[in-house]
Amino acid sequence: MAQPRGACTWKPHICEQLKLRDRLQRHGFEEIVHQYNRLLEKSDLQAVLSERYQADKYEVARGHEATAAGGDAPALQQEMADMRIRHQEELTELHKKRGELAQTVIELNNLIQQKDKEIQSNEAKMQEYQQQMANLEGDCRDLNNCLQDLERANQTLKDEYDALQITFSALEEKLRKTTEDNQELVSRWMAEKAQEANRLNAENEKDSRRRQAKLQKELADAAKEPLPVDPDDDIEVLPEDSGKSGGEQPHGRALGRTPSKKSSQMPPGGLLDSISNIFGRRGANSLSASPENSEAPSGACVEVRVPSTALHVFEAHDGEVNAVRFSPGSRVLATGGMDRRVKLWEVASGRCEPKGALTGSNAGITSIEFDSAGSYLLAASNDFASRIWTLEDYRLRHTLTGHSGKVLSARFLLDNARIVSGSYDRTLKLWDLRSKVCMKTVFTGSSCNDIVCTEQCVMSGHFDKKVRFWDIRAESSVRELELLGRVTSLDLNHDRTELLTCSRDDLLKIVDLRTNAVRQTLSAEGFKCGADWTRVTFSPDGNFVAGGSADGALYVWNVLTGKVDRTLDRNHK
Amino acid sequence: MADDKDVLRDVWFGRIPACFTLNQDEETEREAEPYYLLLPRVSYLTLVTDKVKKHFLRVMRAEDVGEMWFEYEGTPLKWHYPIGVLFDLHASNSILPWSITVHFKNFPGQDLLHCMSSSVVEAHFMSSIKEADALKHKSQVVNDMQKKDHKQLWMGLQNDKFEQFWAMNRKLMEYPTEEAGFRYIPFRIYQVNGTHTSTPLILESSQGTEKRYQVVIHGIEPLMETPLQWLSEHLSHPDNFLHICVVPAPSD
Repeated sequence: MAQPRGACTWKPHICEQLKLRDRLQRHGFEEIVHQYNRLLEKSDLQAVLSERYQADKYEVARGHEATAAGGDAPALQQEMADMRIRHQEELTELHKKRGELAQTVIELNNLIQQKDKEIQSNEAKMQEYQQQMANLEGDCRDLNNCLQDLERANQTLKDEYDALQITFSALEEKLRKTTEDNQELVSRWMAEKAQEANRLNAENEKDSRRRQAKLQKELADAAKEPLPVDPDDDIEVLPEDSGKSGGEQPHGRALGRTPSKKSSQMPPGGLLDSISNIFGRRGANSLSASPENSEAPSGACVEVRVPSTALHVFEAHDGEVNAVRFSPGSRVLATGGMDRRVKLWEVASGRCEPKGALTGSNAGITSIEFDSAGSYLLAASNDFASRIWTLEDYRLRHTLTGHSGKVLSARFLLDNARIVSGSYDRTLKLWDLRSKVCMKTVFTGSSCNDIVCTEQCVMSGHFDKKVRFWDIRAESSVRELELLGRVTSLDLNHDRTELLTCSRDDLLKIVDLRTNAVRQTLSAEGFKCGADWTRVTFSPDGNFVAGGSADGALYVWNVLTGKVDRTLDRNHK
Repeated sequence: MADDKDVLRDVWFGRIPACFTLNQDEETEREAEPYYLLLPRVSYLTLVTDKVKKHFLRVMRAEDVGEMWFEYEGTPLKWHYPIGVLFDLHASNSILPWSITVHFKNFPGQDLLHCMSSSVVEAHFMSSIKEADALKHKSQVVNDMQKKDHKQLWMGLQNDKFEQFWAMNRKLMEYPTEEAGFRYIPFRIYQVNGTHTSTPLILESSQGTEKRYQVVIHGIEPLMETPLQWLSEHLSHPDNFLHICVVPAPSD
């Protein structure tokens, strides 16, 4: 390209030249030529008009000559006037036509304008519609996209569902197989358990049979003995013997054993708890003094002797000893203590040999009872439950739970199918042994320290100094007997006509059950009822009463005289 | 640039005042007045002289009318030259208006081409354009244009419509940017002695000494340093040729 400075010379030059040329050649002549042409047109028109007029004049002139003969000037003038009129009419007609045509032209112009406007508006509408269409197409595309996305998502969900379905069926299969395995294993285990139970049963049976055989042998041996050793005597009270002599042993009266139990851990005060159970009134089975009939199970007690010395002193438990009981046959002694065990001792020839121990309790034993057949042992415990063991195999049979406080005393009811238990939670519960459930709960209002049972009646001694009598069939208290101190122990005599109570006011009372009145009150100097569980007991014939004192001495009263018959304070703790 | 557009417009709307006089030999019923007309420089004689013909036919009898032809001072005017070229070549130094004599008889068959209708002029015009584009773009542009585009070029020229014509013609004036211009510049040089040549002639005209010849394009004399490419783009005739007249310098 040429440089700008160069362009600035030839280009303006050309522009100038062109302008000059135009000025010369065009502008000067434009107007003139235009006007000339107009004049030419006008002259042409004039020529045409003049020709026409000449033609007219010529006709008129000829018309003139044609009528010249007549020489009627007025006729000629008339003709001329007619012609003039005709011409004027034509002229007016032509003017009218011209006006009409102009009118049509105007109308057509208006129409044209209208049509133009309509066309414009239509075009505008068309554009609008096109716009709308574009928008709708856009929307349509968006919706299509959404649809595709949804379809894809749906497909993914379906796939996931299928996969889950497969996993599920696989898991189901596994579950089925494992349940089958489980069933199989359980059945095998049950079979094994049954086998083991059978084995145990067989063993136990063997054991019990062996023991029975031994027992029979012994009995047979004992039967051969000439001397009446009668080791099963609970109480041997020699009415005539005052028992001062210490040599009772040469009499061969193995007496009331007073095996004392030493406790290693000393409760404060050195209390003797259920020492009175020495006189364990399983009188039903005591052997008479007559040695001849030394059969273990016998009828009523015939002879009793007041014990004077301890026959055998041994340590029985690791802790306190709370309960002592002879079995109905007086061969077995059961002791229960704070070491949570009930220990069974074989009583033979003046000594106690340990036989076995019953475990199962979770806290200290408070009371023990044998059933009337001697096959079951009932123990009440501080762990709020009572337990029953069978004595042949020392197995725990039942556990009766339900109390909300420690069970202080539990007794078999006379038909041995029911148990009544009294507890610190102020209730008495009646249990059915067959169904092992609590049949009745009686709210007594006070903690029950001891219970004794007759056929119809349950007597319970309470913390609130009352002894309550309950009818078994009714649920309410039949009678109440108020004492002066908290009742610590109850005992019935063999006939079940008298009730012996011991209370904290250091008094022993004998209550006649038929009259419900206190028949006799026994007390002694130095006899102090030291604890809520101090025990007293009748002798098997009902003539003597024994009780343990707080100082460790054992007091024996004669019921008939009401006086202290003997005091044993040796080896008692 | 605005200057270029002005140049294009001035070139297009250039006019020459002409006076058409009927030849005395023609037999007329009446005396024919001369007819004055402003002729467009870029058009062709037979296109723009309908009114002349009508004007003169009014005074002539029908049987005397042959093909109309023009002459100036004895030279028959070739209608296939642009009017501007004819004027610059023959009458650039004469007084205005340009007096052209109109003939209806004795058509000089050996000097002039017959022109029966405007379609002849159209054919000539289109062939000129194609020839020019063949030189400029190897005929690519004109062959890419459709038939209606060719028609638009012709109608623009025929009806004197600058915008209509140049809407199409600007395509023919474009060139690819990697080249500086057209492949070849189409031009024709006319000299007074009758010959015209279109071979590239490099005129050397000495600046300092007296000039004997004058280079005239569209009635003006451009400076010698004017680039040919620019001249071809802006001072071409509608048929895309650059018509250059070399005339003797005026001696006043």
